[in-house]
Amino acid sequence: MDMIAQIFPGIFSFGVQEPMIACARVALIAFGFLLAYLGFKRILEPLIMVPMGVGMICINCGVLFLEGGKLGNLFLDPMISDPAKLVDIMQVNFLQPIYNLTFSNSLVACVVFMGVGAMCEIGFILANPWTSIIIAIFAECGTFVTLILGVHLGLTPPEAAAVASIGGADGPMVLFTSLMLAPHLFVPIGVIAYLYLSLTYAGYPWLLKLLVPAETRGKDILFFAPEVPKVKKFMFILVCCGLLCLLLPMAAPLIMSFFLGMAIKEAEIVPYQDLLESTLLYSGTLMLGLLLGTLCEAGTLLNPKVAPLIILGVLALTVSGAVGIFGGYVIYWFKKGDFNPVVGISGVSCVPTTAKIAQHAAEDEDPFAIVLPVAMGANVGGVIVSAIACGIFIATIGMVK
Amino acid sequence: MSVELYALMAYALTAVIALVMIGTVVVLNKLFGGSEEEGGME
Repeated sequence: MDMIAQIFPGIFSFGVQEPMIACARVALIAFGFLLAYLGFKRILEPLIMVPMGVGMICINCGVLFLEGGKLGNLFLDPMISDPAKLVDIMQVNFLQPIYNLTFSNSLVACVVFMGVGAMCEIGFILANPWTSIIIAIFAECGTFVTLILGVHLGLTPPEAAAVASIGGADGPMVLFTSLMLAPHLFVPIGVIAYLYLSLTYAGYPWLLKLLVPAETRGKDILFFAPEVPKVKKFMFILVCCGLLCLLLPMAAPLIMSFFLGMAIKEAEIVPYQDLLESTLLYSGTLMLGLLLGTLCEAGTLLNPKVAPLIILGVLALTVSGAVGIFGGYVIYWFKKGDFNPVVGISGVSCVPTTAKIAQHAAEDEDPFAIVLPVAMGANVGGVIVSAIACGIFIATIGMVK
Repeated sequence: MSVELYALMAYALTAVIALVMIGTVVVLNKLFGGSEEEGGME
């Protein structure tokens, strides 16, 4: 028997674990297959889902007996905090250095955010500043509604705030906020956030069809977009970055990362731009997906607090989307019908997914309708408003008793 | 502070900061010679 345990510890470990953990392992292996397959089929975002699925399968299959007969793996151990043990384990677990030096200090979230910043076009928000920011403010509503419900469902205020940040629909922001406020729930919140963000592409078009009549969805928006001088765009970036860091020092690393990406793009520093847009963004996303997958151990996800997170994540994104569309209607009424309310969905800052959803919704009703430039403005506004909301949560959540 | 009151205040503060930030940019744009035709500001 001992011989079998030594040769096939992955299989043998199922028999010596608690039945609940063993069943959860099997379920997570199947779930990993499903995520990787849905990524392969492009139903979910492949950049995240394929590495996450592979990581999830391998971490739950590759269990072996460590010193003292303890079950473990050779990927990483997120629970080690003792510095001496950490240095030792870094020599063994191949993902441990990446986890400790880039993940648990949210460097990876900042790197991804630099890449997102480098791909954002600031000119869209400068063309319609008030419309963009007002829609983005409406579309942040889900975050605050979810915070209230989270506390009433038994989460502590910091835990509820961490899961509520899913309402901003910004992956790096959710990671950053959960690492700051609820590091013990960081793994399930991160997995749920990225899973749901992948699902927005399928869910939000239905929400638009439900809340906006077909004749309004096909409305074209007259977009007055004169060329904004580069220097003005650059100044806007510097002013916003400085102002937001001044007001929200707790979220300053994330704010700096986003605006640094934008500043590099506007300054046309091509080598840096290439580095951010391709190398850093994609290596950051790969590591993010892989680490989120390998952190999905059965024991971690059997936490009783995970169930409410699943409900709260859906709720946050649905409320943000619906209230964002309402924001689109407010602008529609204010401009006496000279606006398309579908743009409201793009206030949810999943750049550029929600802007593309708004454009597709308009295009489906009228092939010549163009709302994308205005939607991209609201999209960038959404990123800024999400950063503000998360900064406020991190700085002030202790006020809730 | 109750969570409901906190959520309301945090939402209001988020909106105020966002509007102040965008207002600052619009004002700076006007001060530095931007107009609707030139600057693209609505």
